[in-house]
Amino acid sequence: MAMSDWNIVTRSMRTRSFSSIVTILSVAIAVGLVTLLISMRDAGENSFKRGTGNVQMLISKESGPLPSVLNSMFYASAPGNPITWAQYLELQRSYPFAWTVPTQLGDSYQDAPVMSTDESFFSDFQPAQGTSWTLQAGEHFDEPFEVVLGSDAAARLGLSLADSIAFQHGAPGTQGGHVHDEFMFNVVGILEPTGTAHDRAIFTSLESSWILHAHDRREAIFGHGITTGIDDLVDDDMKITAVYASLGERRGALVQVLSALLRDPEWTVANPSDSVGGLFEIVSNIDQVLLAMAIAVMLSSGVSILLALYNSMEQRRKQIAVLRVLGASRRRVFSMVLTESAIIGLIGGAIGIGLALLGGVIVSKILVQRVGIVIEPSLPIDGYLMIVLVSVALSCVAGVLPAFVAYRTSVVRALRPAM
Amino acid sequence: MQHPESISVTAPALQIDALAHRYAGSQQPALQIERLQVDRGEQIVMTGSSGSGKSTLLNLVAGLMNPSEGTVRIDGTDLHALHGHARDRFRGRTIGMVFQTHHLLTGFSALENVMAALMFSDIPRGSHRSRAQTLLETLGIPTPNQRVERLSIGQQQRVAIARALACKPALVLADEPTASLDPDNASVALDLLQDACRASSAALLCVTHDRRFVDRFDRHEHLTSPIEQLQGALEGV
Repeated sequence: MAMSDWNIVTRSMRTRSFSSIVTILSVAIAVGLVTLLISMRDAGENSFKRGTGNVQMLISKESGPLPSVLNSMFYASAPGNPITWAQYLELQRSYPFAWTVPTQLGDSYQDAPVMSTDESFFSDFQPAQGTSWTLQAGEHFDEPFEVVLGSDAAARLGLSLADSIAFQHGAPGTQGGHVHDEFMFNVVGILEPTGTAHDRAIFTSLESSWILHAHDRREAIFGHGITTGIDDLVDDDMKITAVYASLGERRGALVQVLSALLRDPEWTVANPSDSVGGLFEIVSNIDQVLLAMAIAVMLSSGVSILLALYNSMEQRRKQIAVLRVLGASRRRVFSMVLTESAIIGLIGGAIGIGLALLGGVIVSKILVQRVGIVIEPSLPIDGYLMIVLVSVALSCVAGVLPAFVAYRTSVVRALRPAM
Repeated sequence: MQHPESISVTAPALQIDALAHRYAGSQQPALQIERLQVDRGEQIVMTGSSGSGKSTLLNLVAGLMNPSEGTVRIDGTDLHALHGHARDRFRGRTIGMVFQTHHLLTGFSALENVMAALMFSDIPRGSHRSRAQTLLETLGIPTPNQRVERLSIGQQQRVAIARALACKPALVLADEPTASLDPDNASVALDLLQDACRASSAALLCVTHDRRFVDRFDRHEHLTSPIEQLQGALEGV
């Protein structure tokens, strides 16, 4: 094969491999950071909004709407201030809801939260708008002490159908919580992934959860060795922590019910979608600072390309002069240096995208484990291509000055024998 | 503008007329040559003391500098009437250069150094490798794929000669080609350079301050600086 400008450029980069690799890595880190931030920002908001499903109202006795949404829909921590079953029934009767789902949180198995609810959770509540619950194995719980596992919980805990588990009192991560090992729960179903926080939860019936806590109450009165069943439940045992509710398509009624509930100091009512939007408005300032920092890192990587190429010009003056003697025009050596900076931008950009994807997987795992939110940072393919294109363009801009130095190289001076 | 192809059959390889060059800020010319002609295939050596303008002459003939006055025709083409890209291309196709310190492209093999010269020629790309291999073989380079910085000084000189002749130039310019060599190796290097130029019918203009080898050339010219010329004229008076 004949020699080409490409051979000259790539060989020149290989000759200065350390400098080339360091420059490419600095571009890659900058591109990776920017890409990760952009993809996280979109994926985060989408994931949160997706996770609120078809719930129009989240009704609880929490201190505010945002903690209520974060605790009862995203499993951030165990909600406080319970709602009695009687209050729930009264709420149901008072307003023209299309459906309501009672939920109770407060127990866990290892790092998975336990969501106690009834069958309406799987029939009325859609985990993401327009989707329904499907089982990858088994069936929904029907009897007390049966559990259905979210897909992520099943995978991470290594549980399968017919396994038995005992719940611990308290939210995941609670130290020294009482383990209710007198009541073993059987795994009867495993759900398909929904891409929401519910994937890492364990679902059981409200009655099961109430029996656990009634048992504690009764042990305090009657001592150890007693058995507790559904018939032993009293009103005080039957508590929930939040109500998922919807009025269906009746927008007018929704506004009326919302304003009525908002006026009632007994209840905390949240529109989950608005609360998530509000949350992202709060974090958007931090987000913008991070994005500005990432752009600053990207610009500084552009400067590092400029410096690396500019400094190399001193060593390459002779090479450029020789090429000029051999017949290369000024424009051609200019384009060779620009090609080199474009290659740095291209390779750095591509590695950066790889780093961002890898970083996304790691961040996603950490978020699921620590916050329980399923965020899968990703951009459309056009987005990645655009980022690589910007990286190449920025590198080319950074390469203009060194390329101009190459363009202006005096052949006579560069080839003059050293005195 | 004359078309080089149309007159190259009869035109001399190099023709210089009323050439003078002054560096910026100096009234005194650094070089002054009334007339110099080198025919096709002719080999001339030009000697001169330091400051006589030998390097200036080579830079002007290679088109790397523009003269203050006069013309330089290579193969019939007025070199300085060409500008920018056209002159660079013309130089690449018509002039071969051999330097005292070789100025090979480090990091590249001997073969790649010769092929680098062919990159800028009109010779079909498909034949670049075989042409470079043949030239290196003829000049006795046994390891053409070895990087040039790993070759001996003598081998580097051969690669430089092969590179200068790669594009079948009309004129080869040699700048002190023996300066960095001991007498035995200098003689061998000159033999190689002269034989290679003869084999490809290229004219050779060799500038040196070394007078030991002047008899080997078809013609010997002595370059005197304008000051020396003035001193000579005054002594005559």
